[in-house]
Amino acid sequence: MRQRGNLARSVGFALVLIWSLVPIYWSLKTSLETEANASAQNYVPLHPTLGNYAALLTRSGDLPGQIRRAALNMVIECGAATIVTVVLATLAAYAFARMKFRGSQTLFYAVLATMAFPAYTTLIPLYRIMSDFQLVNTYTGIVLVYVSGFLPLATWVLHNYFVNMPIGLEEAALIDGASRLRVLRYIVLPLAMPGIISVALITFLFAWAQFLFPLVLSTDSSTQPLTVVIAALQGRHVVPSTLLNAAGVLAIAVPALLALAFNRYIVNGLLAGSNR
Amino acid sequence: MVKASSPPDEKNAAPAATSPARRAPASRPPGGRGHAAKSLPYLLVAPLAVFIIGLALVPAAFTIIESFYRVNPLDPPTRFDGLGNFRRLFANSAVLTSFGNTAGYVIVGVVLSTVLGIFFAVVLRRPFRGRGLLIAVLILPWALPGVVEGILWTGIYDANTGLMNGVLSSLHLASHGSVLLGDNRWLTIFLIELVQVWQITPLSTLLVLASMQLMPEELFEAAAIDGCGSWQSFWRITLPLARPGIAVAVVQALIVTLNVFDQPYVLNGAATTGSSITEQTYFISFQNLDFGGGYALSLLITLITLIVSLVVVRAVYRRVDY
Repeated sequence: MRQRGNLARSVGFALVLIWSLVPIYWSLKTSLETEANASAQNYVPLHPTLGNYAALLTRSGDLPGQIRRAALNMVIECGAATIVTVVLATLAAYAFARMKFRGSQTLFYAVLATMAFPAYTTLIPLYRIMSDFQLVNTYTGIVLVYVSGFLPLATWVLHNYFVNMPIGLEEAALIDGASRLRVLRYIVLPLAMPGIISVALITFLFAWAQFLFPLVLSTDSSTQPLTVVIAALQGRHVVPSTLLNAAGVLAIAVPALLALAFNRYIVNGLLAGSNR
Repeated sequence: MVKASSPPDEKNAAPAATSPARRAPASRPPGGRGHAAKSLPYLLVAPLAVFIIGLALVPAAFTIIESFYRVNPLDPPTRFDGLGNFRRLFANSAVLTSFGNTAGYVIVGVVLSTVLGIFFAVVLRRPFRGRGLLIAVLILPWALPGVVEGILWTGIYDANTGLMNGVLSSLHLASHGSVLLGDNRWLTIFLIELVQVWQITPLSTLLVLASMQLMPEELFEAAAIDGCGSWQSFWRITLPLARPGIAVAVVQALIVTLNVFDQPYVLNGAATTGSSITEQTYFISFQNLDFGGGYALSLLITLITLIVSLVVVRAVYRRVDY
């Protein structure tokens, strides 16, 4: 019985690893091959080379230049969207969790209601608003759309976090004459840091995964993130799959490392966000 | 709306919000009942309100209203068209095909991600050495962009250099170089959806796992004493008690599969063989510039998503009290 349980566990363990890692491994393997050597018959690269990465990261030319620009765009857009989202969500979530004010319920339910709609419901109107305000092909346009998309979930998760924190310290500080903002800064923020880190990570990963919104909002390479550029390269047969996979590995390196390093925060944040 | 939120403006906004209340403790009693303290919550939620109203509620209203208008920059002006947009959608064979395709994506995606999610959750339920690492590896596919996952899986499905054909042909199950994508409609849909299943199964697993960890261990011990085998206790105890988690997992899978875009766009391009409703929305709006038609299709898919999610929650969700 015990033996069978252990065997089943090992098989399950192996299946999780195979399922999660094989596609990533295969892309990594392809990215380490030269175009001439790429083959389905080799499960390990025969003559591994970093040539594809060197080509993308150091060589000059249209394609490497575009990839590097797209990587920079992506870091700027995701970084800015994450910072704005976390700051605004923290302020609002604290107000919802700890302060009484008129209209708070209405606004809070409006925030929750926007989470029920699929994100793409507002794709066309957002494009037209951004185009009316001359914000197509700008970082501002993309960041505004990202923030509007991620704020509801971030606010919801942080609200739940604040509500579940013990209120005693805050009340004591308020009675001692500290202002609300001092309480928020010196008592609430340090205590809520794990929740804030969770929200920041999830927001950043969501932003990093965006494709259809930037596809519509960025029509030239000045603001296109890596996802849009890679998808455009994929359709072109002149780009060898070895190079394409190297670009793909570059695009997944950041989220993969974040997921591996901070998986506890991500798991907690995801679970907190799903209980609605 | 524009003012409140680009990153440089953000830095300016934060100190502005602090200043009125920083004065409060000096001149007011503790906790501040004064004017500044009263307006503080409004200041704290104002940016959120601006974003929600300006970039979520107003656009959603646009989608609803303008789906009854003819909106096309190539055919101005914008004018009321009744159900014209919807009529044209239902006369468009590519749109009709995409409804069938999307149904395929949803069925494959929801069933596979839920079954795999339950299976992985059972594997991870009890503590063991290396469990943390396994969870870290498990959530990897969730963290990656769908587009790049499409690229990753292109390498697996490729007719010549792909892993799947390599494995199948060395097992003599398929001839070398057989085309997997784009030939057969349902095979194409199945394989493309498998990529999305890869992405969404981690969240399903976590949701089911979370509800399993609320289950008291004594329940299983008692069942074992009563002669209940592990297979039986899975069907009779684990599965029914995990229903809240399974319900949430099914709903999140439904929402993302109904709106699938990245994976078919990358793996299948514009081919109608496997195009999804969201792909058609994109083509209609941003290639044909028929925004009215795009609005109408967005409204339809939104309504379908809301209704199906509600039905599933009612059917699957049961409150569990221990």
